[in-house]
Amino acid sequence: MKIVVAIKQVPDRDAPVRIAPGGKWIDETDLQWAMNEPDAYALEEALQLKEKNGGEVVALSAGPERTGQTIREALAKGADRAIQVVCDDLGTRDALGVAKLLAAAIKPENPDLVLTGLQSEDIGLGQTGVIAAELLGLPHATLILHVEKTDAGVTVKRELEEGWFQSIEMPLPAVLTMQSGGTKLRYATLMGIKRAKTKELKSVTAAELGADAAPVVVLEQIALPKKQKSTQILPGSPKEAAAALIEKLKTEARVL
Amino acid sequence: MMASLPTLAEPRHFAIWESALFAALIVASVWAFWRPFGTILRKILASKSDADFHLFPIGRRIRDFVWEVMLQAKVIRERPLPGLAHAFVFWAFCAFALVTLNHCATAFGAAFLDPAEPVSRIYYYIAAVFAAACAIGIFGLFVRRFFARPKWLGELSWGSGLVALLIFLLMVTYLAAFFVQPDSLAARALWWAHTLTLLAFLPVIPHTKHLHLVLSPFTIFLSRGGFSRIPPLSGDEDFGLVAGKDLTRLASLQAYSCVECGRCTEHCPANNTGKLLNPKQIVLGLRGYLNEYSPASEEPLLGKYNAQEAAFQCTTCGACEFQCPVGIEHLPIIIGLRRGAVNTGAWEDDYGAKLFLALERGSNALGMSATERDKFVEKNTLPIFDGTQEYCLWLGCMGAYDPRGREIVLALVRVMRHLGASFGVLRKEKCTGDPVRRLGNDLVFQQLAEANLESMAQNKVKKIVSICPHCVRTIQEDWKEFGAPPAVEHHSEFLARFASQLQPVQDQKRIVFHDPCYLGRYRGVYDQPRQVAALAGDLVEAPRSRERSFCCGAGGGLSFLGEEKGDRVSHVRAAELAATGANVVAAACPFCNTMFQDAFAARGEGAPELMDIAQLVARGLPE
Repeated sequence: MKIVVAIKQVPDRDAPVRIAPGGKWIDETDLQWAMNEPDAYALEEALQLKEKNGGEVVALSAGPERTGQTIREALAKGADRAIQVVCDDLGTRDALGVAKLLAAAIKPENPDLVLTGLQSEDIGLGQTGVIAAELLGLPHATLILHVEKTDAGVTVKRELEEGWFQSIEMPLPAVLTMQSGGTKLRYATLMGIKRAKTKELKSVTAAELGADAAPVVVLEQIALPKKQKSTQILPGSPKEAAAALIEKLKTEARVL
Repeated sequence: MMASLPTLAEPRHFAIWESALFAALIVASVWAFWRPFGTILRKILASKSDADFHLFPIGRRIRDFVWEVMLQAKVIRERPLPGLAHAFVFWAFCAFALVTLNHCATAFGAAFLDPAEPVSRIYYYIAAVFAAACAIGIFGLFVRRFFARPKWLGELSWGSGLVALLIFLLMVTYLAAFFVQPDSLAARALWWAHTLTLLAFLPVIPHTKHLHLVLSPFTIFLSRGGFSRIPPLSGDEDFGLVAGKDLTRLASLQAYSCVECGRCTEHCPANNTGKLLNPKQIVLGLRGYLNEYSPASEEPLLGKYNAQEAAFQCTTCGACEFQCPVGIEHLPIIIGLRRGAVNTGAWEDDYGAKLFLALERGSNALGMSATERDKFVEKNTLPIFDGTQEYCLWLGCMGAYDPRGREIVLALVRVMRHLGASFGVLRKEKCTGDPVRRLGNDLVFQQLAEANLESMAQNKVKKIVSICPHCVRTIQEDWKEFGAPPAVEHHSEFLARFASQLQPVQDQKRIVFHDPCYLGRYRGVYDQPRQVAALAGDLVEAPRSRERSFCCGAGGGLSFLGEEKGDRVSHVRAAELAATGANVVAAACPFCNTMFQDAFAARGEGAPELMDIAQLVARGLPE
């Protein structure tokens, strides 16, 4: 079973995020970068499938030079080889633009399965994997927690709302977008890092892939969430106030 | 006066056949000794060389040799009575060197000592005194091993009984020769009895723990020194102790030197609370492995002879290594086994993986967001270190993120402000890497150490003070592998230096101080925290204190690994501290503090108050 895992490098959760001048993207100087968490789960699922069924895991990532660090992390954790699509404009590409890059890189690989995170931790569009599936002409399923290989294809466990799960049987090849938390992540090891140095890392550019599409959706402006705290005093007798509070919790806060 | 004393009787003349027989027996005995001993020696020498071994400076080695081998100080200090008995056996063996040589030489007419000549005579008497002491000593040890039977000695062994008998016979046959006529049949019989005992003794050595007779002087002389010195990994294929091929000569030598006295196990907090770990068995496990496989073997070390579970139950408190009388360095071995398991990914543990992932990506072992530290620094208006202040106050994970650790930091800050000491905290800190270092994750440790060393250089840090003995140890010793760390001290050392400027607190508290392993055994700091704690009341001592302090259970990364098997180490120690009748337990380590906090909470009513020494003295400051 040949599995391609599409991975994005995102700002580390602890990194201080600032808006870049112009307000169209974040200021990338002084940021620490890390592997997008749902993608880390996609990689883990792929490695476990390989350990059980044999085959090959190929890590794929699009982004500037610094993405190499995250790719090496994927190789260290157990991916067999990697493809880096070098492009410096990832931030300004829309989901279609990124999906085109990924699909173009995946196509010649002819994988049995493509796994990626259900969304990125930075912009969180949640569309890239699905669009890539369309471009590749493959069936897909989203929000997957677990994948089991069967004779006919795969059985996947899909997360629904309110604690429900759905079990789906799918043919291969297919694209799955993975939810975080379905399994336990492995830690990086010294041996993994040393072995990663000898693994193949193929580098291609967006132009070489012929996927240099102009964006359909343009990002106008980004802003940090406003910190605000507002206090409301509900008037009336305790009974009236309690009734009003319940109403607000139901309709405004929607927690009841 | 000497004339009235008996003289040692020896046969003067030997028939040729007698000399020939004796020579043949010597050859047989040496051959029977050398066959197994040579195999062991070859295994040790075939092991990988120790990349970080340096014979020099040799002064420390000579000092250790004189103190631990010649004077038997470590043997005696730990177990005074059996220790003395052992020392007399050892000293008698030394005193007997010339006697034995002369004894053998006699058979070939080459005797160089003459019982009638005064100097030889005095020497014989000195040897006789030692022989008597040795006979009593070995008899005492025999009684202890076969009748008193302390459990740390393990199961009865025929070898020990046989050796005790042989040593006893050696001494008795020597002493008896003072009471028979020279050149009599009795003298000849005693000579032969003594000689045969000696020749029988030699081949027993390599088959029993008495191998330590031959090896341990070398083990002590060649030991790495320091305490828990973890050797650097050498080359791209070294991941720690994975298989036989990774055992170094020092590790193999130590494995064969174990005398099975069980002092390590007696003091081991894991073993004493019902866990699988037995430090003696770790060492004997390596010996068993070496006996079965070759030092070039690919067979995993954690398997038939040693269990992975045991290796990961160690709190790295170092009581074992501190006690060992034959120079075995348990911590580099146990941590080496962990390195082998973690660096290759063989160790699978949910808590461990969580800790490693937290430190791969984040800044602290508690898995908190770094902004929590920023908020703490901001809220308490802690000055930021800018290179102009004298001290860099290192918060550490506990000091920056743990509520109790933060209280200790704030108490120390109050004292430092009162003393007018200039200090600042770094804008950003990463974990020193202590838990990953002890758990054997070299990848994350190296990343953390390098990032921190770079930050130290950038911020021009010269002097660090920290509330955490683990941070202090890791900064001072473990970072050395990747650069030159700044000077660092524990806050107990800082506070003790300024003790005269601090107000005593007069409220009649009875205080028991708990020695943190990483401050005491690791750093040799025992008096300073007591001096500081004494400002706040009367000190009482726990039954196990100073060098023999009993761990709180947190070290070695274990505070991050979830529930323990058996009793909790912290509960055992907390009960011991409470039983001293003290109304305050003084701690000097945020990990000890948090462990005892939980333990006392579990005890409920009547638990003593728990405070760090910084909090104790901060109480005496004007508001």
